[in-house]
Amino acid sequence: MNKAAFFGQAVLRSYAQVMFSDNLWFGGILLGITFIDWYVGLAGLVAVLVALISSDLLGLADAKIQEGHYGFNALLVGIGLGIYFEPGLLLLMIIVVSGVLTAFVSVSFEGIIGKYGLPYLSLPFIITFWMLMLASRGFVALGLNPRGIYVLNELYVLGGHTLVKWYQAWNELPLLSSVRTYFLSLSAIFFQHHILAGMLVSIGLLIFSRIAFVLSWLGFYVAYLFYLLLGIPFTETTFSYVGFNYILTSVALGGFLIIPNRQSFMAVIMVVPIVVILTVALQEILAYLQLPVHAFPFNVATLTFLYVLKFRVDNRAKLFTWFWQQNAPEKNLYNFLSYNERFGNESPVPIRLPFFGEWTVTQGHNGAYTHKDEWRHAWDFEITDEQGKTYTREGDVHEDYYCFGKSAVAPADGIVEEVIDDVEDNPIGERNLEQNWGNTIIIKHADYLYSKLSHLKKGSVKVKVGDKVTTGDVLAQCGNSGNSPYPHLHFQLQATPYIGSRTINYNLANVLVRSEKEAQLLANANPPEGAHVSSLPVQPELKEAFGFTVGRLMEWSVNGGTDTVQWEVKRDYFMNRYIECLTTGARAYFRADDAMLHFLYFTGNRNSLLYRFYLSAFQVSYGFSNSLVLKDSFPLNMAFGSRALVWQDFLAPFVRFMRADYELHYPAQSRKLMDHEFSLNGTVTRWVFNRQQRACKFRFMVDAGGFVSFRFESGNQLIEALCKRN
Amino acid sequence: MTKLAFERPIIQRINAGLPSKYGLPRHIEPLSHIEGVSIRELLSRYGSPLFILSESTIRRTYRDAHRAFSTRYPNVQFAWSYKTNYLNAVCRTFHQEGSWAEVVSGFEYDKAIANGVPPEYILFNGPDKTRDDLQKAIKNQSFIHIDHFDELYEIIALTKELNQKARVAIRVNMDTGIYPQWDRFGFNYENGEAWDALNRIMASTQLELVGLHTHIGTYMMSTEAYKTAAAKLAALAVGLERKHKHHIRYIDIGGGFASRNTLRGAYYPGTDTAPSFDDFAEAITSALMSSELKPETLPMLILETGRALIDDAGYLTGTVLANKRLADGRRATIIDAGVNLLFTSFWYDHDIRPVEATSEQTEDTTIYGPLCMNIDVIRGSILFPLLKKGDHFVIKRVGAYNNTQWLQFITLRPKVVMIDTQGQVHVVRKEEKLETINAQEVVPVHLDKIEW
Repeated sequence: MNKAAFFGQAVLRSYAQVMFSDNLWFGGILLGITFIDWYVGLAGLVAVLVALISSDLLGLADAKIQEGHYGFNALLVGIGLGIYFEPGLLLLMIIVVSGVLTAFVSVSFEGIIGKYGLPYLSLPFIITFWMLMLASRGFVALGLNPRGIYVLNELYVLGGHTLVKWYQAWNELPLLSSVRTYFLSLSAIFFQHHILAGMLVSIGLLIFSRIAFVLSWLGFYVAYLFYLLLGIPFTETTFSYVGFNYILTSVALGGFLIIPNRQSFMAVIMVVPIVVILTVALQEILAYLQLPVHAFPFNVATLTFLYVLKFRVDNRAKLFTWFWQQNAPEKNLYNFLSYNERFGNESPVPIRLPFFGEWTVTQGHNGAYTHKDEWRHAWDFEITDEQGKTYTREGDVHEDYYCFGKSAVAPADGIVEEVIDDVEDNPIGERNLEQNWGNTIIIKHADYLYSKLSHLKKGSVKVKVGDKVTTGDVLAQCGNSGNSPYPHLHFQLQATPYIGSRTINYNLANVLVRSEKEAQLLANANPPEGAHVSSLPVQPELKEAFGFTVGRLMEWSVNGGTDTVQWEVKRDYFMNRYIECLTTGARAYFRADDAMLHFLYFTGNRNSLLYRFYLSAFQVSYGFSNSLVLKDSFPLNMAFGSRALVWQDFLAPFVRFMRADYELHYPAQSRKLMDHEFSLNGTVTRWVFNRQQRACKFRFMVDAGGFVSFRFESGNQLIEALCKRN
Repeated sequence: MTKLAFERPIIQRINAGLPSKYGLPRHIEPLSHIEGVSIRELLSRYGSPLFILSESTIRRTYRDAHRAFSTRYPNVQFAWSYKTNYLNAVCRTFHQEGSWAEVVSGFEYDKAIANGVPPEYILFNGPDKTRDDLQKAIKNQSFIHIDHFDELYEIIALTKELNQKARVAIRVNMDTGIYPQWDRFGFNYENGEAWDALNRIMASTQLELVGLHTHIGTYMMSTEAYKTAAAKLAALAVGLERKHKHHIRYIDIGGGFASRNTLRGAYYPGTDTAPSFDDFAEAITSALMSSELKPETLPMLILETGRALIDDAGYLTGTVLANKRLADGRRATIIDAGVNLLFTSFWYDHDIRPVEATSEQTEDTTIYGPLCMNIDVIRGSILFPLLKKGDHFVIKRVGAYNNTQWLQFITLRPKVVMIDTQGQVHVVRKEEKLETINAQEVVPVHLDKIEW
C-alpha cells in the first residue's frame, strides 16, 4: 500500500473513530460535517494529518496509525481550536503544535491506562484542549473567532441569502424538542450546533451500526428523562453541549466496549443517570476554571465502569467486555457469539489425551468417588471392552485389566516438574491412602499450567525431573498405585506444581468422543463419565493441504485457467495468522494447532476465491474416523451480506433469527494411508426463521501433495479451482 | 427321568481319582451349544460333518487384538490374511471391522477385490506374483511387498512400461533369535541385502517406498522375536530417514501369532502357553516406541495376523461312525471328519469334545477319520469318553487354515455355516456335490463310451 492510500485511510478512520467506527464511509460523512464550517474543517484535517504524520515519523505501529488511533483526538482538538480562534497563520501554528501534542498524549495514555486493559477514549483530547484553553488566555496575538457567535453573518458571506435560508430551514424543522436536542447533541460532538449535522451523524451511525444507532437514542432518552425527573433546568442548547456524553456512554458501554446484549442495555440504563450526575457536578467544578466539560463525564463514567468490571470474580452479570475490537457492535457481537460457541471454554495451551487409542472416562469432573471439592476437575480413564468391562478373565490380578501397563504419554509439550516412581502397585481392590496419589508425574506446560498423571505403575516412569517432553512422548505406564483399587489413569490440570495441588477447570483439545451411534470431534472437550474418548492420528495429506505455515504460497487456476489467484499465508502485528489473496487483498484469518484448523473471519472482497475457501475450510481436522462429520456455525456477518443482516442487526442483542451452518463430511472409510486422491465434501447452509436459504456445496480434492482442487457451488454458480504445484 | 445313555462296558484299573504322574484323571467336558445354538440341531439340519463359524467370536477376537495394539501405539492397522481363511463371509467380517486385505497370490488378490476391498488397501505378499498380477497391482496402486530382486527388477520394468508409479515395500528377513530362522522370504537384514534393495528402490523414480515388512515365522510362541524384528525394522526406517530423507509410511510386522491350539508334542496345552495379544502388542509397540523413530512421523503399524484371530471362531462337528479294537488292545473310534477336512491335525493335538453328556469314564483311544488311508488320524492317543456310533463330537479351534488347506480327497467337503451375532445361522459355503467336481472335468470323446 502506498503512503497516500495509507494516510487517506488513516485520516478517514480518525474521523470514524470518534464514533468508535473504522468504517471509511462513515469517516467520510463525518469529515464532510466538519467542513460545514470551512475553516473549522480545515483546522481539524490539519490537526489529524499532523498527528498521523508525526506518529509515522516517530515509527509508531503502522496498524494503529492506519486504524486512526492516534488521529481522532487530534481531530477533536483541531476542530475545537478552529471554532474558538480566528483563522490565520498563528492558529495554524498552534494547531500543528497541538496536533503533535495530542499524538504524544494519546500514546502516553495508551501506555498508562492501556496497562489496565482500558481504552483511552477522548481523554487525550480533553486534557490537551484544556491545556490549550488555559494557555491561550496568555496568547495575546490570537484573536477569538467571532464566527462561532455570528454564524449567519459568516454564512451570508459564504453563500448569500439562499444558504442562510436553507440553513435556517433545517434548524426550524418541525421536530419534537427532544428529537431536536438529540440531533444537536450529536452535532455537538464535532463542535457544531446544527440539526443537519446531527442528522448526518445519525445517518452515518445507522449505516455504520444499527445497534449503535439504537443505543444512541436509548442513552439520550434515559438522560433526557432523568433531567426532567430531577427537574434540572436546561434548554435545547445547553443540553446539547453535554448531551453527547450520554449518547457516547450508551454506545460505548452498550455495544462497543461491551458485547451488546440484554444485560448491556440494562447497564446503559443504569450508568447513564450516573453520567448525568457526573456531568452536572463536573460542570460546577470546571466553571471555576472557566473550562467546558466536553466529553469528560463520558470518559470518567466509561472508564470507571470498565475498571469495576475487571474486579469481577465471575460473570453472573453476563457483561462481556470486548476481546477483539472489530469496530462495530454487530461485528463484535456476531464474532463473540461464534467464538464463544466454538472456543468458549477453550484452553490457551491445547492439552491432549494422555494415552493412545480409545479409553473410557470412568470418573469425570465432580465425580461420585474422589473427584470432589478442590480436586473436582479431574478425569479417570480406563480401557473397556465391548461389554463395558475393564478387565478380562477374573479381574483379580493387575494384568487382567486392559489399561494396566499401557503407555501414559505427554499431553502437551513441557518440562517434567515432579516424579514419583516407587509406590507399590496395590493388589486389586485395595487402596493406599498413605500415598494417596501413588506414582505421579507432573509436567509444566506454561506458567500456572501443570498436568498431573497419577496411579502409575511402579518403576515404569521413563522421565526424570527437568526432562523436556513433547506431545505424545511415552512417560510411564498406567498402574494401580496410591488411592486406586483398580488400575486406572488419573489426569488433572492444576496451576501449581505440587502433588495434591487443587485442580483447575481446563478443557482437553481435539477429542473424538464416541457414543453408540456417532462419533463427535470436539475441539475442546470436558468428556463426561462414560464417554469413550480417543485422539485422531493426523492424516499427513490433510496436514499438507490445510496446514498453513506462515510464508506458504498457493496458486490456484480458476475455472479452467481463465483466472489465476495467488495466496500467501501471513502473520500480522498481533501474531494473528491469515491467508491473503495477493490479487484482491482479501484476508481470511485462521487459527490452527497441530490437529485442527479453524477459520475465524474474513475481510475483503466476497467475490474472491478466498472467501469461498474461507467458508469451505471453516473447520478442518487433520485426522478423522470413518464418515466423520464436523459441524459448526458461522458468525452471521461472515456468511450474510450486510444488507441481508439489517433487520437482524437491530434485534441481534436480543434474538437471532438467522443462522449459517457449516458441515464437512470425511470419507466413509478412514483410510489412514491415503496417498491417492480423496475428497472432503461439505455444505454451507443459511437459515432465516428456520427456513433454509440457498445452500452452497463444496468439495476439496486432496492427495499426498496437498490440494488437488477446490470446487464451490452456489445456486447455478460453479467455481472450480485447481491448485498449481511446482 | 431320562433314560441313561448306554456306554459300552470297559475294563479299567480303578485309580480312585488319585493323582498319578499324569496328574488327576481328566474329564472331557462335552460341548453341546455354540453361541447358544445346539450343535445336534445344526447337524440334523445341515448334515454331518459340518464346519461352524461364530461371527461373534471373530469380532470379539478382532476387537481384543485391536484394542491391545491401539491402546499402545497411535496408528494401528490390521490386514486380514486371506490364506488363513478366505471364505468370503469371514473376510467380509474382518473388512467390516476395518481390516485391510493381505494376499499372497493372484487368486487371493482377485478374491479380495471381489469382496469389495479397495485395491489400495490390499497388501500383496508372497514369492509368486505373476507378471499379470504385478501389472494389476501397479495399476490399482496396491501395496506390493517385494520378495526378491528378480521381482524388484520386473516391477521397475513394468512401471516404465505402464508409465505408472508403484507403491512398494520390501520384505525383510532377519535373525530374531528363533530357530529355524526364516530366511526364504524377502531380503536379509544382517548380510546387507535389505539395504541393497532399499538403495535400489530409492534410486528408482518409479517406485514409491511406502513400507517395510517382515514375516518372522508362524505359530510363534515367543514375543521376544517380535521385539527384535520390530526393533530391526525401526532401525531400517530410521536409517532411511537419515540416508535418503525418506519417511516410510508403515511397518508391517507380519503375522504368525500363536493361537491357543496345542502343538503336537507340546508338554503344556496351548491355552496355557500361547502369549496373549497384549503380550505380542507390548513386545512390538515397546520396541517401536523406544526406537529412534520420531513421535511426529511414527509409521503406521500393520499386523497381518491370521491364525490367532480366527482359530477360536471355527468348530468342526460330526458323527461317530464306528468303534473297534486295535491289535494292541487299544480302542479306536472312527469319525466322519478326517485329515481331508482337518489339515491342521497334522501338527495340532486338537481339542475334541463329545457333544452329548457322557459319564466320567474314559479310555485310551485313537481317533481316526473316515478316509481309507493310514495317515488319517485326528488324535493318536487321547483319554476319550466312550462314544458309540451315531454320537456326535465337536473339535474346537479349527478356524485357521482348514477351510483353505482342506482336501477334496476321497470324499466331498461339507457345508460351512456361520452363526451371526444375533444367533441366526447362515450357510456360508455349500457342500460339494458330484456335479461340483465333475463340472470341472472334461472327458475326451473316445472315452465317452464304455462297454461292459
